[in-house]
Amino acid sequence: MIHSTFYLRRLHSLVGLVVLGGVIFEHVFTNSMALGGPEALNGALAMMELIPHPIFLAIEVCCIAVPLLFHAIYGIYIALQANNNPGRLGYIRNWQFALQRWTAWFLVVFLIWHIFYLRIFTKGIMGTPISYELLQSYFTGSPLVAAIYVLGMFAAIFHFCNGITTFCMTWGIAKGPRVQNVVSVLSMCLCAALCLVTLTFMGSYFVM
Amino acid sequence: MANKEVKVIVVGGGLAGLMATLKILEGGGKVDLFSYCPVKRSHSLCAQGGINACMDLKGEHDSIYEHFDDTVYGGDFLADQLAVKGMVETAPKIIKMFDRMGVPFTRNPEGALDMRNFGGQKNKRTLFAGSTTGQQLLYALDEQVRRWEVKGGVKKYEFWEFIKVIKNKDGVVRGIVAQNMNSNEIVSFPADVVILATGGPGQVFGRCTASTICNGSAVTSVYKDGAHLANPEFIQIHPTAIPGSDKNRLMSEACRGEGGRVWVWRENPETHEKERWYFLEDMYPAYGNLVPRDVASRAIYKVCVHMGLGMHEPNRVYLDLSHIPKDYLERKLGGILEMYEDFVGKSPAEVPMEIFPSVHYSMGGIWVDRKHHTNIPGLMAAGECDYQYHGANRLGANSLLSATYSGIVAGPEALRLARSGELGEPLTDAEMEAARQECVKEFDAIRNMNGPENAHKLHHEMGEIMYKYVSIERDNIGLDQCLKELKGILKRWDNIGVTDHGNWANQEAMFVRQLRNMILYAMVVTKGARCRDESRGAHAKIVLDESGNRVTTPDGELVFMGRDDEHFMQTTIVDYDPKTEEPQVSYMEFDHSLIKPRARNYAVAKKE
Amino acid sequence: MAEQKKVRLVIERQDGPEAQPYTQEFDVDYRPGLNIVAALMEIQKNPVTVDGKRVPPVVWECNCLEKVCGACMMVINGKPRQACCSLVDNLTQPIRIAPARTFPVIRDLLIDRSVMFESLKKIQGWVNVDGSWESTDAPRQNPYTAATAYEISHCMTCGCCLEACPNVGPQSDFIGPAPTVQAYLFNLHPLGAYDAPKRLNALMEKGGITSCGNSQNCVEVCPKNIKLTTYLAQLNRDVNKQALRNIFNE
Repeated sequence: MIHSTFYLRRLHSLVGLVVLGGVIFEHVFTNSMALGGPEALNGALAMMELIPHPIFLAIEVCCIAVPLLFHAIYGIYIALQANNNPGRLGYIRNWQFALQRWTAWFLVVFLIWHIFYLRIFTKGIMGTPISYELLQSYFTGSPLVAAIYVLGMFAAIFHFCNGITTFCMTWGIAKGPRVQNVVSVLSMCLCAALCLVTLTFMGSYFVM
Repeated sequence: MANKEVKVIVVGGGLAGLMATLKILEGGGKVDLFSYCPVKRSHSLCAQGGINACMDLKGEHDSIYEHFDDTVYGGDFLADQLAVKGMVETAPKIIKMFDRMGVPFTRNPEGALDMRNFGGQKNKRTLFAGSTTGQQLLYALDEQVRRWEVKGGVKKYEFWEFIKVIKNKDGVVRGIVAQNMNSNEIVSFPADVVILATGGPGQVFGRCTASTICNGSAVTSVYKDGAHLANPEFIQIHPTAIPGSDKNRLMSEACRGEGGRVWVWRENPETHEKERWYFLEDMYPAYGNLVPRDVASRAIYKVCVHMGLGMHEPNRVYLDLSHIPKDYLERKLGGILEMYEDFVGKSPAEVPMEIFPSVHYSMGGIWVDRKHHTNIPGLMAAGECDYQYHGANRLGANSLLSATYSGIVAGPEALRLARSGELGEPLTDAEMEAARQECVKEFDAIRNMNGPENAHKLHHEMGEIMYKYVSIERDNIGLDQCLKELKGILKRWDNIGVTDHGNWANQEAMFVRQLRNMILYAMVVTKGARCRDESRGAHAKIVLDESGNRVTTPDGELVFMGRDDEHFMQTTIVDYDPKTEEPQVSYMEFDHSLIKPRARNYAVAKKE
Repeated sequence: MAEQKKVRLVIERQDGPEAQPYTQEFDVDYRPGLNIVAALMEIQKNPVTVDGKRVPPVVWECNCLEKVCGACMMVINGKPRQACCSLVDNLTQPIRIAPARTFPVIRDLLIDRSVMFESLKKIQGWVNVDGSWESTDAPRQNPYTAATAYEISHCMTCGCCLEACPNVGPQSDFIGPAPTVQAYLFNLHPLGAYDAPKRLNALMEKGGITSCGNSQNCVEVCPKNIKLTTYLAQLNRDVNKQALRNIFNE
């Protein structure tokens, strides 16, 4: 009895909450600096550059890339086991269940593009540092890109926040229907708040 | 183990069948278990109110003798008393077994078993799991049999219909023919002993409280092969059911056990004011709403049909729980209250339920001795399909008990018989194939029937006829007429046409085969009733004068025949006459040595 | 005389496991309190479609008609439910009836649910009693715990929750909510609890409780109103503890 399925599933759940959560909070926090203008954002980006490069890279690979890759690949396997049916059974939780999987599919594609273009191509290969100016020209240059980025952020935020709810159920933290409901409402509030922040800082590129 | 390996076929996966199976497995035998449906869906699960056992947990000094006496008295002294004695003595052990198996019996605040009142008994003697006791007991046995399925020893044939038994050249039953209800494949199975636990024949009456699978077809099949049927005229009519066009849904006696009252509106004979008349309490002061079922049904029938006090067309009376606190009802009766809401749309906690009597249970069935052998060697019967334990009327909550107990008796006895070497030769392949071919031929003939009659309409008509003549009140002219009409139905069966000629999950053809058996069983019931010229328990016969009119008293009440111990303190035995296809009635002595018969009167407290 | 009110049923039929599904429409006389089983019975009496074609009657499974046996589960207007207690008055017409395709279809509305009973074997859904003979008395039980057990013990293996669950079906090996929650029932019993680690370990295996995706459809469609999601969460808690015990105690 090794129960590898059990441990993989639990790991998948934990990674989703901690790593995806961490990445989302980092992105929302850093990017929201854009609201303070170019200096604020560039300052925040510069702060990160203070971490020595090899350590930074190690953190990126071990704490972000590998866990997220695991979450994505195992997540695809999980998503393939679902036969989504919210059209027939339109309960809120069922919609959230389906959205969890649909956002996952979108995120897999979006993140590949996002990471390859910004992190690997622009920053890694071309050596161009990420800056307020770069992002502004990138987004304002093509509203389609901006729209996809907003959607990508929304998808990631929803996937994470709904993940909090399912995490609480999967780990047996929220047991009864009332507490499950409270957790669900709270995490959806968090979802709305993070989406609002995202919309604001993305909008700021166009206003300023 | 010196014992040679033996195999018993158990037909029917309700309480009796599963209990017998378990006992055989524990004794080291092998079992092939046949059922119309997954055994977990057997009709035992419709039993609601509870199971009787004298545990005396309520400080009432209840005794096993009291249970014994209530059962015999409730059955109007037609039950084999030695058999009943065995059952009531075993009852407390059965409860303890079920408790260990995990039946979620309702508990008192101390965590011990709770008990409730039930009809025909003055002490709290009924153990219950909410209002779904049968479901919980059946599940417990289903789980245990599943455990044995994993261990090995039992093979389930679910969705297999029993067609007939196969006898060897000595006339000993050594196998059965059965049909897979999905593939329609017909196969012969050999065995050492066959136990039938196929339940009651409720569907003979069309609408009743029984499941659609309770058609008594298997019973008729062995009757045609020479098994005696016993006391078939005793059909229990349950006083409180929700009438419906597809079935009458049972409203448990537990409603009255927990304080429910039955009433109708009437004009007070003295004050002439409109009032609620709690007629059961009025007519039977000692037992009130908890009179036995036959008594309550006749009272309701009288109030509705003869006095015209039923609430409207169609006839109904009120069963009232609305005076009882809601949380108490929820705890004790939850399941059935929900059912009333589901099917009627009103909450019984707020408004009185509208109910009427319905056919519910057959006290009669295959004749068996106290060890559950039928008169055909090698064939045994257990559960509702046998006639044992209930006499002329069954007390509520005794059916779960008798079903379980008969399994407990039949199982080990089947094993003993299988190992005894008294069974002669096993079936030869030729015998098995011949029996199989016969059934295949019959089924093929049915599949190709092309007449104008529809089997389901015919079934409906038969139900109407049976309700009209052979239900709560019977008279000889009606019964004669009924037999005549049933013969007509039997003739019309030949003119049935099926629209489904296929050989895959052909439910229509299987139903046509069952229907013929149901008609024959209806004739058995009617003939038994016709020949018993007395009133006893559920069988109430009206006196007719010479010109065939119903005799009434000066104040207009119908006159019923009395109980005639001199002539009819005997078990009715019905045999099949293959030439005429008609039932032949005779009578057989039975044991009533322990309690001397006395008049049955629920208006006063029971005297011993 | 007013014209008899009719009920239109659109039934998805299928002649055999491999056959192509097709639909047929039937009209049935309306009457108050009519339910779907009663309507199907009317079709048996007169198996003629709205086009006037005489066809084999619809095949389905039903026993008790009281919502306790679990046999007559089918998909009615998109939702899995018991046909016997689906009153026509509460359904929008035309009423669409289909088999629960999570399970293999045998014919018409008749399906093969044997997989559920097999799952009950996997979770060891029984109390390991010494035998059916008389032995010691069963231990007393906390009446509140017993009430919870009673609630779960209402499960009639009808399969509504499996049909509704997006994670149950040919694409997945999930045993489904009903059999999973049954494990909790036996863990609650004072004698059944002895084997609780075995059941929890069984639930940790592939197709066990980890396949639950929390869509919570099960609790919405359960005809017996069993709080399936609550007990699933409790079982999640229990298997996590069991995992810790497996790691640290062995």
